[in-house]
Amino acid sequence: MSAAPDEMLQAAHAAAARAKAHGADEAKVVVSRSRGVDLEWRDGRLERVQERTRRSLSVEIFVDGRYSASSTNDLRPEALEAFFADAVAMTRLLEKDPHRCLPDPAAYAGRADVDLDLVDPGYGAVSSAERRQVVEELEALVRAADPDLPIISVSTEVSDTWSQSARVHTNGFEGAREGTSFVLGAMVTVKDADGRRPMGWDYTVRRHRSDLDSPGAVAQAAASRARAQLGAGKLPTGRYPIVLVNRAVPRLLGAFLGPLNGPALQQKQSLWDGRLGEAIASPLLTIYDEPHRVRGLGSALWDGDGFATHRRPLLEGGILRTFFIDHYYGLKMGVAPTGGDTHNLAWTLGNRDLDGLIADVGEGVLIDRFLGGNSNGTSGEFSFGCAGRVIRGGQLAEPVAEVNLAGNLDGIWKQLVAVGNDPDPNSGAACPSCVLDGVQLSGQ
Amino acid sequence: MTDLLPTDGLAYFGRFGVTEELLRAAFDRAMSTGADWAELFFQHRITHHLGLEDGAVNRAYGSVMLGVGVRVIKGDQTGYAYTEELTRQAVCDAAATAAVIANEAAGRGPSAFEIKRLPDRYPVQQPWPGVGVAEKMPILTRLNELAFARSPDIVKVRVGFADADGAVLVVDSDGRMSFDRQPMAQMTLSCTAERGSQRESCSANLAGREGFEFFTDTRVEKLAGDAVDRTLFLFDATVAPAGAMPVVLAAGSSGILLHEAIGHGMEADFNRKGISVYSDKLGQAIANPDVTIVDDGTEVGARGAINVDDEGVEGQRTVLVEQGVLRTYMHDRISARHYGVEPTGNGRRESFRSPPLPRMRSTYMLPGRHDPAEIIASVKRGVYASSFTNGQVMIGAGDFTFYIKTGYLIEDGKLTRPIKDTNIIGNGPECLKKTDMVGTDFEFDDGGWTCGKDGQSVPVSLGMPTVRVAEITVGGVNQ
Repeated sequence: MSAAPDEMLQAAHAAAARAKAHGADEAKVVVSRSRGVDLEWRDGRLERVQERTRRSLSVEIFVDGRYSASSTNDLRPEALEAFFADAVAMTRLLEKDPHRCLPDPAAYAGRADVDLDLVDPGYGAVSSAERRQVVEELEALVRAADPDLPIISVSTEVSDTWSQSARVHTNGFEGAREGTSFVLGAMVTVKDADGRRPMGWDYTVRRHRSDLDSPGAVAQAAASRARAQLGAGKLPTGRYPIVLVNRAVPRLLGAFLGPLNGPALQQKQSLWDGRLGEAIASPLLTIYDEPHRVRGLGSALWDGDGFATHRRPLLEGGILRTFFIDHYYGLKMGVAPTGGDTHNLAWTLGNRDLDGLIADVGEGVLIDRFLGGNSNGTSGEFSFGCAGRVIRGGQLAEPVAEVNLAGNLDGIWKQLVAVGNDPDPNSGAACPSCVLDGVQLSGQ
Repeated sequence: MTDLLPTDGLAYFGRFGVTEELLRAAFDRAMSTGADWAELFFQHRITHHLGLEDGAVNRAYGSVMLGVGVRVIKGDQTGYAYTEELTRQAVCDAAATAAVIANEAAGRGPSAFEIKRLPDRYPVQQPWPGVGVAEKMPILTRLNELAFARSPDIVKVRVGFADADGAVLVVDSDGRMSFDRQPMAQMTLSCTAERGSQRESCSANLAGREGFEFFTDTRVEKLAGDAVDRTLFLFDATVAPAGAMPVVLAAGSSGILLHEAIGHGMEADFNRKGISVYSDKLGQAIANPDVTIVDDGTEVGARGAINVDDEGVEGQRTVLVEQGVLRTYMHDRISARHYGVEPTGNGRRESFRSPPLPRMRSTYMLPGRHDPAEIIASVKRGVYASSFTNGQVMIGAGDFTFYIKTGYLIEDGKLTRPIKDTNIIGNGPECLKKTDMVGTDFEFDDGGWTCGKDGQSVPVSLGMPTVRVAEITVGGVNQ
């Protein structure tokens, strides 16, 4: 199935040597390969079988104070010679950039000695017949989950991927990694009385196949989400307390965290510029980056600069604790780099589950999905389409669609009044459901 | 680059080891399980990107992509595999993998290949392979200078310059063979401005299927003007009010409304599966008779132009809605066969790594009979939307959104307060019915629009006259 990690490292070292032979002063090289299979099943038949086999070589080149990055999947020896020659020649024509260089090798030290357990050893053992059986049975489970559902179409999918990569920097960094991931998903489209055809879906994704949510749970979630959209109406425009379901939280959190990155700060496109150490969210919001989570979807021992990763606070009690600044933008801004990537998130959880949060809110709106929209990371405005259910008397009531949620990133997370105890296991961000007060929703 | 012959395709891919013998061997494997049809999609694409930041053109990015996707069709079912190695063994292995979708008696590959001549909808004067970094750099530097010269408030400028030279060879088991060279030119200008403690940033971009000649002085100057003016506009703008109200869409990029409100729902794969809100609506009146909507691969030089789609069907102009009546879906070969119609040349894919799907090309509404000024004057209180960033749709429910970057409030028939950063949400069929005034002022937008579906991105274009939507939900904030 796989080249040994040593072979990948050797290939990366060889590529780095070729880059230098063609005139690069220094280089960063990543070689990677992956293999995967996707099966899509629809209404009693196989819809699509797809096999993916990828490989690539990426190289960042530093020559004469200049910088470029190139990648190729044409790995024939003669093609690679031309690739390196072109890359170096292109770099020489650019203007100099005094901030482009490899980090001091001392900065590579401190890599955690942790087994992240990102590879399912059973990966190669999954047979085509098994995959087919899984998607076929999942369809049956969806149809059985709610026999009265006015189903138009059920489609199910199973996907697995194995990938491996090695990184080498010419000043001493090397590292190889390997990982697997498995996905199981179901979509059910139903016919509404007015002709609309809403879709309910659910999926589960994990590093190890045996950790996946059960097919029964996926089927039940997809069917009940389709059921919940039947007869959706519009919501009167107003300010409401909202319960944001865990899997919808990353949309609002991602817009909030996005402007913390180095390029946004350095280009003066961040509303968080100068706000480190300030309370920018509710005291209930405490989030750590947790790169060493065992079997974590976003786990990694080093980042794109080769820096060892560490557990670190992003927000503590609503106070902003870090920006995301990589080696290059650190030099450019004259500050110490903090690591440009986030990995898995770990929240300080509350003690109520989703039903408990709904009951506590009493009167409000549950938002369970977003649709489009955007945000302005410089001045903070955001506006997202969304949909969900009205909450009345602490219970879920009628569904609402064509809703829009708007506000300013500077303030929206201060409206957080409760955090759930239900982190989403199918996401590295592991967001729990959240309650926010006084949120502007538009409708009719 | 005119008068391309498919034989040039074999010559082009011949340097990677592709021969007619390899094609025959691969089709024998692909058809070995009794499939209805099979196809090989060879692709080679070289892209370059140059970036200016803080006054210097000091970063370049290059990428080379090469491979072949093998697709095997049995009924509506698809088997797909790809390889990035174009050896006989690797291509035959991929063909055998894709062939698992069928399980009947062996069929045969084509005995001869028929060479298809294609039109040339992107005649290139200065092909990208002959254009070096040194020739491109002055354009980035000039954009930087123009942006700073336009306003003393500008504090940061970034420029991105991207070009691509692609080659595709599509061969199918019926023996049809098409070869196309696909150029792309694109540039983006992003600015930050400061007034006191307030900062605003905005960007603008331009794209077309052209060579280096795309970057004319006029285009470069227009891009600088658009990006800077839009950035400065934001200082005086606030978000729109919240709630349902009339919205007037400016001519040009508001074609994003069509793309989301109706375009995706008219892609025939969703209809074949019965999961589009437009399923079962062919031949029915779905819009005001002033509304005619076209999806067009023939617009010369447009980002959404295609000589041939990614399954060997010639690019063409397809009228989706004619005077309010739904005429046809957008088809790929699978859906065309399902419906018993000819494919419409909408079978597109991101690369050889994915099977094609029905996708849009350049989607636009034809001009109508209303003076744009009359349309604005007709609105008592509403929103005028000038520029957009992105949109999205739920195909089955029909709910869609698009994000207004800049615009105005309309009060008593006049444009008043500037607005910004406001999402619009509506339902496709309802919104089409409420599109009740269509302007005479059609504009084709030359922005760098990219459409995503099933994880695949393809370049598209948009166009629109000024229109009024009588009522739609504006996702603003009420103070």
